Amino acid sequence: MNEGLKDWLAGFDKRFAELTHGMVKDLEKCLQCGKCTAQCPAAKVSSYNPRQIIRDLRMGNVEKVISSQELWLCFFCSGCYAVCPRDINFPFAVAMLRYAALGKGHGWNEVKQIKDPYAQDYYNSGLSVSHVERNVAIRETVAEQSRTDGRITEVRKRMGMPDRVVSEEALAEIRFISDATGMTDLFDKIEKMKDVPKTWNYGSPADLVKIKRGPNQKFAGLDEEEEAAPAGTGAERSE
Amino acid sequence: MPRQERLDQVKVSDRMFMFKPCVGENKYPGIINSIMHAMPRLGVEPVESDEQTCCGGFLTFTNVAEPTSTMPAVARNVAIAEEMGLDIVTMCNGCYTFLTEFTHFMDQRPPVKKVVNTILSMIGREYKGTQQVYHAVEVFYKLKDRIAERAVRPLDGMKFATHYGCHYLNGFKNEAIDDAFMPTVLEELITACGGTPVEYEAQRECCGTGLTQVILHKEEISLPHCQRKFDSLNEAAPDAVVVQCPYCLAQLDRMQHKLNWRKITDYKVPVIHLNQLVALALGVEVEKLGFGAHAMSLDRFVEKLPPLEKTAGAREVPVG
Repeated sequence: MNEGLKDWLAGFDKRFAELTHGMVKDLEKCLQCGKCTAQCPAAKVSSYNPRQIIRDLRMGNVEKVISSQELWLCFFCSGCYAVCPRDINFPFAVAMLRYAALGKGHGWNEVKQIKDPYAQDYYNSGLSVSHVERNVAIRETVAEQSRTDGRITEVRKRMGMPDRVVSEEALAEIRFISDATGMTDLFDKIEKMKDVPKTWNYGSPADLVKIKRGPNQKFAGLDEEEEAAPAGTGAERSE
Repeated sequence: MPRQERLDQVKVSDRMFMFKPCVGENKYPGIINSIMHAMPRLGVEPVESDEQTCCGGFLTFTNVAEPTSTMPAVARNVAIAEEMGLDIVTMCNGCYTFLTEFTHFMDQRPPVKKVVNTILSMIGREYKGTQQVYHAVEVFYKLKDRIAERAVRPLDGMKFATHYGCHYLNGFKNEAIDDAFMPTVLEELITACGGTPVEYEAQRECCGTGLTQVILHKEEISLPHCQRKFDSLNEAAPDAVVVQCPYCLAQLDRMQHKLNWRKITDYKVPVIHLNQLVALALGVEVEKLGFGAHAMSLDRFVEKLPPLEKTAGAREVPVG
């Protein structure tokens, strides 16, 4: 199963430095105790398995990890770091491994969903979350409760808060940083790149539906019909 | 129990820089407005700046921008507070994570700091690393006795559940002021405000945002996870849940709304931010707290609020 049987102690740190920008270390300290997976909310509902991913990295199966669908299932709750007896900051490793995956062509579809609108909003207005409410149902509820037209600028006005506008100078500054450090180029690249399909390397999509249920408990997204979600709210892209 | 050693390092000064989170600005403006009104009542002058932008953390952890791009953006935001000579108070776990992690990373590695400063020098700024980054919960906890003393609207008889948020306690298990597994800071603050803390089973579960979760993950992963948390929360039936992160607020608030909207469940626990809780206790008008922007209605919560006390204890507190 190993992609290349190597003595993993030889140059382990250096091999990882290349993969993770030097931001993650100590993966070789892992005891394989499995506490991370035991508390992991993503592992509860899918075949994502932090312990196994670390083991694969140590065995040299880097390709297997970065071509997997599971790599994109981490919640970033940092629970694994909190319980880890060896202080391995695994969420950081996941973030860095995702960059490595992008380098191999995997995951561009995932990144694209965030680029529009969040990254674009950051570049245009300086804030990642814009004042536009894209969820129709939320807008209706807010309109009803705040007795306004539901726009957040109106709600702010009622509270005596002026619109939040990042100053022109500040915008010019962050755009300069973005251009100079290659962030803008990456945004353009995200538009163009085609995703190389990922595979379920640690299980199958069927694992998602093996959820323990209480009596008569129904889960949204699993048990209801597709039509139950009316247009405009089903694919809620605003947080 | 909070860590005394870590707590001693928190220094509350007369003026502090309020680092405004994006979700606080554009989804739940009450978070920012309430801390702006609460801080003067506690003797701290809040300072804000239109120069400050998004911390950049959202883009980093969603892999849309590399750390090499967002680190100068973080350094720039910190430099704004440094120019004023103020310590930073963040009210979002995400902002806290990125300001702390990246400044720490730069402080530990002088060559990295030098490269970042080369970029910043082109826009006429410099990151020195002289100021501290605090979370609002640390500052409020430090001022706990003052809050209890100046609470003109003690929230007697109100029940509050708590949700800490992963990126503060889990992500900083060695640096946060409280333990990652049995935290009590929010409960003590609720008690200081006159309320009663309520326990529920899934208290330490992640809210389910994790920065990317609703966006990247298919609903079959994210919704069952949230539903478990909400089931446990609604069983405890508190008057509100207190969170310390705008993203947790957005997730807990809007996912309940979404599930109700789909007629799967009938959840009704409103969610408020710690800033709003403290501002309420300190007697800030309810209209200024921005409850209208919340998806789960706070009408019943507001009806239940005790009236403002007009006793000797409820004197006007001088600003500054």
